[in-house]
Amino acid sequence: MLRVSGEATQTEVDLEAITAGTDSSGKHSQVPHSDLLIALAEAVVAADEEELRPLRERAVAEMGEEQLVDAIAVAGNFMRMVRIADGTGIPLDKPMMQMSQDFRADLGVDQFGGASNTPELGIVAKATSGLTRAAFRRMAKP
Amino acid sequence: MSLFDYSDSPVPVRSTLAEGHRRAFERIARPGMWWTGPERVAIAAESRAAFDCELCKERKQALSPFAVDGEHDRPTQEGLAPLPDAAVDAVHRLVTDPARLSGEWVETLTKDGELTVEQYVEMIGVTTQTLSIDTVHRGLGIPLESLPEPRDGEPSRRRPTQAAMEGAWVPMVRPDKLDPEDEDLYGGGRTGNVIRAMSLVPNEVRALTDLSGAQYLSMPQMMAWGEQFRSITRPQIELVAGRVSALNECFY
Repeated sequence: MLRVSGEATQTEVDLEAITAGTDSSGKHSQVPHSDLLIALAEAVVAADEEELRPLRERAVAEMGEEQLVDAIAVAGNFMRMVRIADGTGIPLDKPMMQMSQDFRADLGVDQFGGASNTPELGIVAKATSGLTRAAFRRMAKP
Repeated sequence: MSLFDYSDSPVPVRSTLAEGHRRAFERIARPGMWWTGPERVAIAAESRAAFDCELCKERKQALSPFAVDGEHDRPTQEGLAPLPDAAVDAVHRLVTDPARLSGEWVETLTKDGELTVEQYVEMIGVTTQTLSIDTVHRGLGIPLESLPEPRDGEPSRRRPTQAAMEGAWVPMVRPDKLDPEDEDLYGGGRTGNVIRAMSLVPNEVRALTDLSGAQYLSMPQMMAWGEQFRSITRPQIELVAGRVSALNECFY
């Protein structure tokens, strides 16, 4: 989703930041305030008020109050979505598998326990992954 | 003061978020499809108790999540409806250690007669809505909202006629197999497995999409990649979403 959103808005994104977080060595992201957003996401998941308090102040100063609320709301939403996925054992949708097969292993996502719920892509699906990515790219174009 | 008033919040909270939270709590208080209103509120309370549960903390550190036995820390609120032990344990595991749940565990849980698979799916809905809203409060540094007063009434106990096992641990309904009363469920088109995940209990899909619309994006907004619907951009939204998912070790 991050990659498609980057393509749709012509914003370079650093996928490594998803798994490496604030330790990301990539730092190539053109996403505004990406370091702050990552730090906020980490503090929300840790539910650590000592970490959160200064981050909230920084977020209000650097991004704005409305932006802080929207970032926290998204974090709250995905605390729910991951538990729905993990609690029901759903497999990753085939198009999403195709779209992400080139970076999942590199990012270490394939090591997560839930990966075993998703069967490997077949030869045809693997071979047509590029077409699926291109179709998504066209669909995402503004 | 009404539910989710947010007048004491240190930062202004947009009305669409407050309204989404209010609707979610009102839904939790009402009879569901498989649990009564008092039971749903008790599940929400259990979701909160799990957050500080010592047994869950010990289990989280253990090599296997099933290696440590004990008693969960339970809600202190009086007058809550009793829940089966299996439901209490499931709520706690879902809140505190979701990445280590397994299909085998769900099968055992729902086959020993203490919890049906329909109740399990609805329990996921109530638990995760509560956690989601509480996460926003903790994130913004504001007190948790009091749980709603449960409403009387019986669960509807309607199971979609075409629900079937197809790759997940629970039955789901395909978009072309929806019952007439559920035709609204997927917005009239194809949808991702994470939406279909709850379709054994259609009202939980409605709850999921409604709360997501308030906290994240509605389904039509999700597909409008180039447009901006929030004060932060779509890549900023997806960056937060992706990092939260990775920290929870969620493959999906």
